[in-house]
Amino acid sequence: MKIEIPEKYIVAFKEKYGENADLAELEKIYTRSLVTPGEAVGVIAAQSIGEASTQLTLRTKHAAGLSVINTTSGLPRLVEIFDSKKDISTPFMDIYLKEEYAKSKQKASEIASKIIEIKIGDITSSYTVSLRKKSIEFVLDKELLKEYGFTPKDVTAKLSNLKVSTALEGDNLSVIDKSADSVKKLIRLRNKIVEINLSGLPGVSRAILNQDSNGNYWIKTIGTNLSEVLKMEEVDQKNTISNDIIEVSKVLGIEAARNLIIEEVNSTLQNVGLTVDLRHIFLIADAMCLDGTVRGIGRYGLSGEADSVLARASFEVPLKHLIEAGLYHESDPFKYVANNILSNQVIPIGTGGVELVVKENGKGNSEENSGKDKEQ
Amino acid sequence: MSFVFVNGVLSGVTDDPEKLVKDIIEDRRQSNIPKEINVRYRKDTDSVMINSDSGRLLRALIVVKNGKPMVTKEDVELLSEGHLTWQDLIDKGKIEYLDADEEELAYTALNEEDLTPAHTHLEITPLSVFGTQASLLPFINHSNAHRNVTAVKSVQQGVGLYTTNYLIRHDNDSMIAIDQQMPIVKTEMYENENFKSHLSGQNIVVAVLSYLGYNMDDAIIINKSSVERGLFRAMFFRPYKVEEIKYVGGQSDVITVPDKDVAGYRSEDSYKYLDEDGIAAINSQVNGGDVLIGRISPPRFVSSIDKFRLGVQKQVESSIECRTGESGVVDNVFVTSTAEGNKYVSLKIREDRPVEIGDKFGPRSGQKGVVGMLLNQEDMPFTYSGIIPDLIFSPYSIPSRMSMSYLLELIGGKVGALGGRYIDGTPFTGETEEDLRKELMEYGFRENGVETMYNGITGEEMKVRIFVGNMTYIRLKHLVEYKIQWRARGPIQLLNRQPTEGKSKRGGLRLGEMEKDCFVAYGTALALKERFDSDKVTIPVCSKCGMVAVYNVKKKTGYCPIDGEDAQIKLIEVSVSFKILLDELKSVGIYPKMVLGSKV
Repeated sequence: MKIEIPEKYIVAFKEKYGENADLAELEKIYTRSLVTPGEAVGVIAAQSIGEASTQLTLRTKHAAGLSVINTTSGLPRLVEIFDSKKDISTPFMDIYLKEEYAKSKQKASEIASKIIEIKIGDITSSYTVSLRKKSIEFVLDKELLKEYGFTPKDVTAKLSNLKVSTALEGDNLSVIDKSADSVKKLIRLRNKIVEINLSGLPGVSRAILNQDSNGNYWIKTIGTNLSEVLKMEEVDQKNTISNDIIEVSKVLGIEAARNLIIEEVNSTLQNVGLTVDLRHIFLIADAMCLDGTVRGIGRYGLSGEADSVLARASFEVPLKHLIEAGLYHESDPFKYVANNILSNQVIPIGTGGVELVVKENGKGNSEENSGKDKEQ
Repeated sequence: MSFVFVNGVLSGVTDDPEKLVKDIIEDRRQSNIPKEINVRYRKDTDSVMINSDSGRLLRALIVVKNGKPMVTKEDVELLSEGHLTWQDLIDKGKIEYLDADEEELAYTALNEEDLTPAHTHLEITPLSVFGTQASLLPFINHSNAHRNVTAVKSVQQGVGLYTTNYLIRHDNDSMIAIDQQMPIVKTEMYENENFKSHLSGQNIVVAVLSYLGYNMDDAIIINKSSVERGLFRAMFFRPYKVEEIKYVGGQSDVITVPDKDVAGYRSEDSYKYLDEDGIAAINSQVNGGDVLIGRISPPRFVSSIDKFRLGVQKQVESSIECRTGESGVVDNVFVTSTAEGNKYVSLKIREDRPVEIGDKFGPRSGQKGVVGMLLNQEDMPFTYSGIIPDLIFSPYSIPSRMSMSYLLELIGGKVGALGGRYIDGTPFTGETEEDLRKELMEYGFRENGVETMYNGITGEEMKVRIFVGNMTYIRLKHLVEYKIQWRARGPIQLLNRQPTEGKSKRGGLRLGEMEKDCFVAYGTALALKERFDSDKVTIPVCSKCGMVAVYNVKKKTGYCPIDGEDAQIKLIEVSVSFKILLDELKSVGIYPKMVLGSKV
């Protein structure tokens, strides 16, 4: 998502400086004139998205349906993105397949079933815990076992890593833990066993086959496991994407995460019929990805890491910031909006961004910092 | 086996719950058990709920048996002749009270014609599906339900003759509208609840057109000459209450004209309305700040030093004055004593509240609006027959809200005014639109209520015919007088020197956080600084230690708490709130050092 120079500027530039004019020079001029020096781009971006999202609250719709995955949308999704939450409420992946697999429905559905995670808990119908025998007895669901293509032995094989002994009696699988001395411990063991992965990718609970207009099949999943999916041979690595920003930043890098933020914010807003200029979203995504990791906007993210003590203190939990500033001898350069307004000074933005430079006795102004600094 | 709950407490079981319910209802109708007992069988939980406790809303319905109402025509006749009472009907089991629980299983018909053998009850009147308030609104069965709710809320806010003994009452902040009328279009409820004794609203001529652009959106134009003739005139009353409180040691407040040697004595002029008894004379025209009731109190805090002072301790003046910004006439004075035996004086001020721009008015259909202009009679539009409307209502308010009761009331009011009779606008049972139209035609008007009108300013005939008629409008209690607020300069708060907040304190309007963001977004840094300059202050700062110093501007000397006389003092301009922040940081043990740089 690069800002392209509009055609008319290129034409005008060539008209003035000839056909062979250096377009890099134009690009330089163009980018410089995109925004005026001293423009409060951050506040304008915040207002542009903030104003739009006030309308959004009321218009959040819920699509009900079986084959449609109901994803978080509207304001809750926006908040999720901007806070860069680690556990998003509806993670999903769009898995695209390589051409040889995408055309065939059978092959595609085979891949889909390969992806879905099946846990031991999914194929057991009931269980009993006995402290006397120090055992947990699972009843395996025969039909489900058949459907998924497992034998009871597959299940016991998965349990070999645990320090327990297993016994199979028909449909009953009994797990005996000699070290167990309380029901609580057994229950904890049971919860652990139920979560053990039998097949598929951990974290992917559902996979739904879709067909695009070209007849290519692709898979939408609930739950993400991008790194494992990308390892699969059948998957088209170029197009496959997850909606979990943190995961994407880990697997594909920060630039991919930035693009995903832009994409997600823009589509979330467009889904509810709002159009916000892309450049505002660029700015916010850039700010969030500035230091190589995805940071949220908020107390534990951007606002909590501002250089200025007073700017942080006036945002949230002032006492904590002020005391820390006192302990660590922090200084405040008074270059932000919040602290200048607080002390009734001219804010260094817009018309306040201009300063008079006067040479004192022919020498340059030695004191760089105009205004005051606050130190502990 | 079903459980039986009495007032929510499990009290027994039954094998035949249907029979139990039936028996209880039959016993109640035959007066074997009290009338207030209600019973219901819940199939989903298989339990019988019997309730006899207080706090349940009960609703009267006519009992129906085999599709025939128990209350017969003869009963109604006997009732109207006075041979039968309401209680008789209840005692005979012809009318019974249902609570919300039992109502759940009742099958109630709205009209007698709708009755089938399956019905168990019949409404006494279709009107009873509305509450008392909604029953006062004409033709509301034609209106949007949401509009009706709004209409009820509007009517509740109406200024009227809420009591007839208002002259001797001392209610807090009460208003009385004078010359209130019975609506031309009324409902049955107006008779039932004796509306005559507490009227609110006046019948006025309303034209539905947009005129001069002063009735845009929900604004209305009111005929200024009508206002001068007394239309919608209201009076406002405010009582001032004073008590002669007794203190420990036998001393007590005294209601009197304070002597000149009393501490806190105001100017002689302030007490000019007081009679010898210390209470302002009735019918005196007082303004804000004038003393209404003179009072002196014994000195409050007797410190030990005062004891050695010569002479008698001074009494403190504690008079009650008229609120600032208000004025009026002393209307009524009321002197009595409290339960403790203290003298108690209540003095009521009356002030006229004529209609002015910004006052709120509404009909009984939720189309409330604010006066956008008071227009002279000669500039108002007029009809062929010379009728000049009192009020001009915007036609654009109607389509989106679909409040048809407004239009029906207008036609009804016109018919009623022409025919010299009241129109029955009761929902469901009132006069129909067809009848009203037909009658209007008989009087020589167009059946749809429109008339040719002429522009009052140019005299030109209007190109469209205007819908004009009579209807009831109510003055609502929201007057601009109570809300208007402005300030250029004014009082500030003691602590942070920022302007006070609120109308009563002559406060300013806050430039809040989001408004601040707009200044930042525009980049108008200097304008922003100017807006926040209200608490700016110049403080001396020692540039050596960075602390606030002490400075004598005249002698140009000063010192600072750390460097003493060696302080190098510079004057800087900050907000008082910032200075307070520095002080508070110091108080928790954080040293906020200011490093001063040169501005030039």
